[in-house]
Amino acid sequence: MEYLKILKNNNVIYSGTRSHKLTLQSNTDFSIKFVFSGNENYSIGRRNLSIYPDSFLILNKGTNYSSAVDCALPVHSFSISFDEKFMDDFKNCWQLKDDTLLKPNYNNGQENEFSETIYPFKGDLFFNIKHLKYQLDHGVQDEILINEYLHHCLISYFKLYNEEIFQKAERLNFLNRSTKIEILRRLNLAKEYLYTNYNQNISLGDLAEYSCLSVNHLLRTFKQAFYLTPHQFLVQLRLQRAQVLLKNTDYPVNEVVSLIGFECPSSFIRLFREHFQTTPLKYRQSA
Amino acid sequence: MNIKYIPIYTDDVEKQLLFFTEKLGLEIYGCKNILFGQECTIIKTRNPGVFILVLKQAQSNTKTPPIILNTDDCLNDYHSLKTAGIDFYNEPEYSPIGLGAEFSDPSGNRYLLIEERIYS
Repeated sequence: MEYLKILKNNNVIYSGTRSHKLTLQSNTDFSIKFVFSGNENYSIGRRNLSIYPDSFLILNKGTNYSSAVDCALPVHSFSISFDEKFMDDFKNCWQLKDDTLLKPNYNNGQENEFSETIYPFKGDLFFNIKHLKYQLDHGVQDEILINEYLHHCLISYFKLYNEEIFQKAERLNFLNRSTKIEILRRLNLAKEYLYTNYNQNISLGDLAEYSCLSVNHLLRTFKQAFYLTPHQFLVQLRLQRAQVLLKNTDYPVNEVVSLIGFECPSSFIRLFREHFQTTPLKYRQSA
Repeated sequence: MNIKYIPIYTDDVEKQLLFFTEKLGLEIYGCKNILFGQECTIIKTRNPGVFILVLKQAQSNTKTPPIILNTDDCLNDYHSLKTAGIDFYNEPEYSPIGLGAEFSDPSGNRYLLIEERIYS
């Protein structure tokens, strides 16, 4: 089902199956981009980012980007653009209510800018988006209800932002706050590189170069921020995406193994069992 | 929306649990932080999906425990009930188990609407 809903307060929600390429465009308002199946590739400057159903991307107002779908599976995109006034009202309301939710000075001093990167789609944001989409798919027209969901999507996004940006920056062993922020920005480049190229052979050298850090610096700071080495992060991501393929497709396990970038089926099965306490086949049967 | 938890206050949790398990033959289902930030023991009743919550009664706590209603979508039910004229004590709030909002009936009985969310 495809729809583009423009609310009276200019919040915009799009849902639909995409198979085409969108040429360069400027993002008119702060937006959150999801996919519910397949993957969508975004280009922002020289960065290429792919989002999958376990992740999402945010774009600030005025960002130039293009997107393309290059995937065998149908790609179901879902995006929300928040009107500037709605965002401002929300921020004012929440800064007054709970200043731990938003610390704008952390955003490189630009109050309306968020870190444009890939975030894990989890927690309350996952539930709130799922409910909002369910209501819209079933034809709800009540804008008060839709805006209530959007308000809660922002609450849960800010909570997630707090976890993914502020808390991770705080874990870095640097005295200077601006150094922490800059290192985290580079670590997020490494993270988005892993999210995007998870099924390729990734060398530490490539990862370090993309994130503008030396290999040693990357290894040390990545572990501080994410509590995982880049390799552990990559394995976890691959296993998570293997779960999605096992659940939603009929691909044989050997094909899933190669699709997620593993070379050896036996090591995949061993790691899958270690992480999820079940085998891939049993997981598929119970999913 | 359906009734899910019936809270019971006690000044002696151990004694109350023995009463439920040994006298009434009910089963302890687990422990959760559902009400007022305190850990409570959940007792499984013989009605499917309905549980008793055993809570420690603090001396200063004279509040009547609310009836806990389960919902699949707290925001949707919150909106429907508000539209029907029900006054909530607060806007939906997040807790470690999910999203909840509290309201009362004309006699002052309290109800807590909870959407439990599995985050793992």
